[in-house]
Amino acid sequence: MTQGYVLKGDLIVVNRDLTELDLFLKDFLNVLKKHTDYLVVSGFVSISAGRARGTEDIDVLVPKLERQKFGELFNNLQKAGFWCYQGDTIEEAFSYIKGMNHIRFARKNEMFPNIEFIPIDRSKKAQFFEFNHPQKIKVKDFEFKIPPIEFEILYKEIILAGKKDIEDARHLRAFFSDMLSKERFKEYENVIRAELR
Amino acid sequence: MRPKTDLDYVELYAKMLKEDNSLFKQQKKLIESQLKSSSSLFRNMFGKADFKEKARKYIKSISS
Repeated sequence: MTQGYVLKGDLIVVNRDLTELDLFLKDFLNVLKKHTDYLVVSGFVSISAGRARGTEDIDVLVPKLERQKFGELFNNLQKAGFWCYQGDTIEEAFSYIKGMNHIRFARKNEMFPNIEFIPIDRSKKAQFFEFNHPQKIKVKDFEFKIPPIEFEILYKEIILAGKKDIEDARHLRAFFSDMLSKERFKEYENVIRAELR
Repeated sequence: MRPKTDLDYVELYAKMLKEDNSLFKQQKKLIESQLKSSSSLFRNMFGKADFKEKARKYIKSISS
């Protein structure tokens, strides 16, 4: 029997095959990474660790971009076969980013899955913190960045707290039980509780 | 302990998956089957010619 995951230094290697959902994210990140840094958060973190549930969107945190940088990214995403729910022009899409609102990208002629593109800056303290403390995870040849597992668990339990989120958190606690750290839970809980104040 | 609640089952599954990665095969099937169904549903609803326009109208109608 092969274990579900192994730790190789700081890298979590999940022992599974790539799914169509992984390949969709991989294609998107291949474009995004050329323009900016990112962090994959929320449901996809649990799903990438084997949580048996469907999803329609993958949440990706991206630092708020200036108009020109965003425009270059937008054009390249369109060239790579993605369309934006919010509009076909840079101006339409950027008006959302400017107001720190989320936008969505899917593959041409598809609604789902989609990427929920979430602009962040220092004003979003918890998101800014997780963005700056990335955990690397790898499935086959696909390596990407997620929050520290303890942070993701607490964020789901304390901030999101819906049924699906509590189940995702329980899954992460059980699946990664060997690598979770009490010290990190304590540190991250302070950051997350501060978000509620 | 025998699982009783949904959360108990989630935990049991995660513990089994941690020890035996063959269970990932079921998860892959579930994910890909959902994607296939959804893709087929929306292609039938919107066609290919003006997919984006119809999709945007649909999004507005469900979010208003």
